[in-house]
Amino acid sequence: MKHLFHTSLKFCSGSIVCSLLLGCASTGVKNPSGVPVTEMKADERGFVAGTGVESQDLVAVTDKMARKILSIDQIVKAQGTPKVYLLPVENNTRFPINRDLFLDRIRAQLNERATGKVRFLARTASADGSPQRIMQALERERDLKESGAVTSNAGQPAAQFSGADFLLTGKLGSLTTRTSRGVSDYILYTFQLIDVRTTEIVWEGSEEIKKQGLEDAAYR
Amino acid sequence: MNPPLHPSQEGNTRPAGRIEIPSWEGLGVGSGATARLALPTLRSVRLWFSLAVAFALFAASGCATPQKSSWVRTGDPIVDGHAAIAQGPAKDKVLWQYRTALEALRRGQFVEAKTLLDDALLTIGSISAGDKEAKKSRGYFSEEARKTFRGEPYERVMAYFYRGVLYWMDGEPDNARACFRSAQFQDSDNENKEYASDYMLLDYLDGFATVKLSGDGSDAFRRAEALSKSVKPSPYDANANTLFFVEFGRGPIKYATGEYHEQLRLRVVQSAVRSTRIKIGNQVIETGAHDDLNFQATTRGGRIMDYVLGNKAVFKATTDTVGDVALIGGMVAASNRRSQDVGLGLIAAGLLSKIVSAATTPAADTRAWDNLPQYLSFAAVQLPPGPQTAVVEFLNEQHQPIEALTKTITINGAPDRDTVVFVSDRSHTTNNL
Repeated sequence: MKHLFHTSLKFCSGSIVCSLLLGCASTGVKNPSGVPVTEMKADERGFVAGTGVESQDLVAVTDKMARKILSIDQIVKAQGTPKVYLLPVENNTRFPINRDLFLDRIRAQLNERATGKVRFLARTASADGSPQRIMQALERERDLKESGAVTSNAGQPAAQFSGADFLLTGKLGSLTTRTSRGVSDYILYTFQLIDVRTTEIVWEGSEEIKKQGLEDAAYR
Repeated sequence: MNPPLHPSQEGNTRPAGRIEIPSWEGLGVGSGATARLALPTLRSVRLWFSLAVAFALFAASGCATPQKSSWVRTGDPIVDGHAAIAQGPAKDKVLWQYRTALEALRRGQFVEAKTLLDDALLTIGSISAGDKEAKKSRGYFSEEARKTFRGEPYERVMAYFYRGVLYWMDGEPDNARACFRSAQFQDSDNENKEYASDYMLLDYLDGFATVKLSGDGSDAFRRAEALSKSVKPSPYDANANTLFFVEFGRGPIKYATGEYHEQLRLRVVQSAVRSTRIKIGNQVIETGAHDDLNFQATTRGGRIMDYVLGNKAVFKATTDTVGDVALIGGMVAASNRRSQDVGLGLIAAGLLSKIVSAATTPAADTRAWDNLPQYLSFAAVQLPPGPQTAVVEFLNEQHQPIEALTKTITINGAPDRDTVVFVSDRSHTTNNL
């Protein structure tokens, strides 16, 4: 009996000591050695994630759009090289985004995959139509040429910018649901190629992504 | 809390093999009872007993000691904020980013405010499922404040709101609208659905941004109208190119109550300022409070975490009571020669229970974004491009300006986009925009 009691007491006390040591240790520094840099592919879902627009969505959407644009008749069978003007996408979601990123990647994809098949005009405008610095710089350069302050190539009129044949733009829309079971965000990405002469929408493509998650109870 | 145990000193002299049981005066157990035990066993028992008491004291004192700040306060909120972000606990980083960003905004340091808010929004915009620290904070032996701070809904709303203001300032009304929508979304998880997503200004701005983007903002306007309490929203003027975001008063402060501070409460103080008057050129615009953060914070209802903390408090109280009962029972049993072993076992169990109780941490997390305003207000006017001087007066309940708070602002109206003016009754300097 005494032996049993002695053993039990040792066990109890040992448990107390262990639990105390463990308890105190848990309040210490987390990851004291740090976390090494993890290189990931842009289309890979990382361990830091939300329900909003993320890099893997951007890659998936722009890849699909670039492929589709390259297959439409107006581009494939165009006489001459069609020129495209990019209008930043309109963000109609609840997630703030870099609006230029989508069209920048589509442009880069198109240029990589079909060099010379389409050309892009170096003009950008914000969603509300206000001119941006590139256009201002181009206009300044044109004015300098016109005034003779700088030279221009012989035989080429200095005052003319190339006009666009098509306008490429897009829109992001979202639908959000929140219940006690979690948060769900559906985002619809639509892109349009518009013939600037006729205002016809010659191509439209879309991609939809839905994500959901549930917050830890500590934040609910 | 029950008083700590105070075992008395045993007698200096005792016959071999016959010992004095330690007295437990603090517990009302009679001293001087005698029992027969083998001396080596008694020594072991007392050794382990002493060790356990020592560790219990260590647990109660050492572990409960708050962490010292690893940075030194200078009194400058921006400097202190950056020091806290860089050198303070990672779990408080977002809290300091909130505070510092708002201070920067009030000083007109918009780039700094954007950087801080963007980083904070990365945290609060991600899904917290699987967050180990959050999981631990729900455990019995970890306090809620160990989780990464994200703030209560009213704090998260304000982070998105301020970022929205900054986006609009940069000529990005669609991203501003996205922030206002996310802000409203943060308020959607209320226990009482009557008060869910009920920020009038956020819906109003959602619609206004849509109008600015040549869209139809009528749905959002109707929602804003339905949510308005004291101030009716003005009809949208798509030509209004100067937007005043005005804030005043002091926002809610958190505190904990309950036996173990397990209940989160909010302390609110009514602002002396009730409305504002903006004088610019020949225009005088008076605007009241569109939203009241004190109201918003106190109508959120209960949190899931409140139930968790309530359970922790019950567990702490129960283990404490069980410890008391076991210790007293053990004392009584140990005073009888025939049940001495059982008594000592009960004492050990009681002590263990007391230690578990002491280690349980049901205290609510009272970290708060403590420089928030009470009221949010908004006005939009049409002004010609170029420099303008605006005077913003903060009016009391009697509709009289509080002179000390009056701000004079120089506005440089942009020709090609909206000019956004942010004014706080706590702005340190006049803004040049």
